[in-house]
Amino acid sequence: MSEDHRREGDGRQGHSRESHGQQSHGRQDHGREDRRGTAVVVGAGLAGLTAATGLAARGFDVTVLEARDRVGGRTHGIEAAPGTWVDGGAAYLGDRHTELLALASELGLKTTPTTMLGASRFALDRDPDRDPDPDPDSAPADRTATGTATRDGRFPPLNAVALGDLFERLAQLTAAVRPEAPWLTPDAERLDTLTAAEWAEQHLSHPDARLFFPLFLGEMCAADPADVSVLHLAFYLRSGGGLRYLNAFAGGAQQDRIDGGAHRLCERLAERLGDRVRLGEAVLAVHQDDRAVTVRTDRSAYRADVAVMALPPLLADAIAYEPALPVPRAGERTARGCAVKVHLVYPAPVWRDHGLSGWSVNARGPLLSTVDDSPEGGIGVLTGFVTGAEAHRFGALTPEQQRAETLAQAGRLFPMLPEPVGFHVTDWLDDPFSRGCYAALLGPGDWTRLGPTLTAPHRRVHWAGTETSTAFFGLMEGAIRSGHRVVAEVLDRG
Amino acid sequence: MSTDLTTPAGPNTGTGSTADDLEAVFRRVLEREDVTADSDFFDLGGDSLVATRVLSAVARTHGVELTFDDFLLAPTPARLAHRIATTA
Repeated sequence: MSEDHRREGDGRQGHSRESHGQQSHGRQDHGREDRRGTAVVVGAGLAGLTAATGLAARGFDVTVLEARDRVGGRTHGIEAAPGTWVDGGAAYLGDRHTELLALASELGLKTTPTTMLGASRFALDRDPDRDPDPDPDSAPADRTATGTATRDGRFPPLNAVALGDLFERLAQLTAAVRPEAPWLTPDAERLDTLTAAEWAEQHLSHPDARLFFPLFLGEMCAADPADVSVLHLAFYLRSGGGLRYLNAFAGGAQQDRIDGGAHRLCERLAERLGDRVRLGEAVLAVHQDDRAVTVRTDRSAYRADVAVMALPPLLADAIAYEPALPVPRAGERTARGCAVKVHLVYPAPVWRDHGLSGWSVNARGPLLSTVDDSPEGGIGVLTGFVTGAEAHRFGALTPEQQRAETLAQAGRLFPMLPEPVGFHVTDWLDDPFSRGCYAALLGPGDWTRLGPTLTAPHRRVHWAGTETSTAFFGLMEGAIRSGHRVVAEVLDRG
Repeated sequence: MSTDLTTPAGPNTGTGSTADDLEAVFRRVLEREDVTADSDFFDLGGDSLVATRVLSAVARTHGVELTFDDFLLAPTPARLAHRIATTA
């Protein structure tokens, strides 16, 4: 990649938009024979950086435009202690995430297992006015006066047959979905009409199943049951490898983390791309004519043979397209993934000394689950997940209220905890450059309307991002696979 | 693979033995064929989530509601069949 191309594309030199259209980079500016063309990639998350890396390796003259002042997208490192990073965003991976593991290996990054040894804590008491226990004698004897139970493993102290009925029903839906084309699933129209909340209302009769279902959905896909269609829920579970795989730590999708933080994947990819990655440029419009596509940002304009939009659907839809998109990227019911991640930092993972794993599941917020994300051999990091409807409530609190609520709850769950030495809140719901996490939530009608054009190029504009991958949708693995797919698509243009 | 969840719970009226039924349930929920009467559910990759599906199937087919701890003590088709026989 030559220096001159990047200068030509630099809008900070004060060119008018029109002159940019003429002067921005293009293959005619370079004498090199191996150039395959020019590409602008919008979004420097895993999908965009994977696509940019692949296109650059095949001779494309690539520019990556990123609205934030950092790369990484929904991966984001938080420095929990000097030199020690934890994942504020996407964190976990398993052995089926083959493209992610290959990328990490190629970039010289190691994985570290998510520790889950010891007993779990459960605070699952129902609101007695709303949801009376049908069989009070069945309450486990180890449930303490504060309503918090300690149990080996991750199995909650709820009626196992009732949870089994729930998982049998979910497994049935999951098995029936067409993973590569969920809109073609038998009965797709009906499944895409119902929300998961309506489905639960119809099918879950036991209060333990009704209690656990929203917690499970929050954990799996950061969704409130009212936000997603049953079709999306079934698709999401299937796409991620099925109920067991998606739920499991050891032997599942949460088995490992990237040592030093998942954001390092993006940072290393961006280092290799050098100043082909341009930070602080929010894309406003994408115009196409017969010969090229022009991507206009708040600072400049970039003309290229193809554009790759590696953005979540709600952000992709906020850009003006000329000619207009035949089908939008998000539907009327497409919602933001509802996740706020909280990190509590301690000098050591003291809960382990008390035989506790750090895992907890809680019927009331703010932390609906907690997990031990401590880096090896050092500080203790307890990660709290605030998901679904609770994420909206928590996000509206002041920082002081957030801290007070979190510490009070953490103290009830893990009474041995000292005052934390670090406290971090990462609110993805309110983040203007992600609009939600883990991924977009497809509501009623969305899959049947949007699915058929999920990856269909709009002339010179191609689509990437984890929401365009029917395999491992919403996960880092899906983002990387979408990047590879879009590279193949662009090469196929001929 | 699908499960008929509309069939009401009731005693087993099939022709196979309870252990045979349970082998089939293990195969279905574990999504693997190499299940025998003495296969340990957890050695075959089962976990607590999948175990609840076995307990749900047992309740539907045999009319017996077992707990997760019951299953931990009888995690093979043969032993679970014995447990059902002594509970029912």
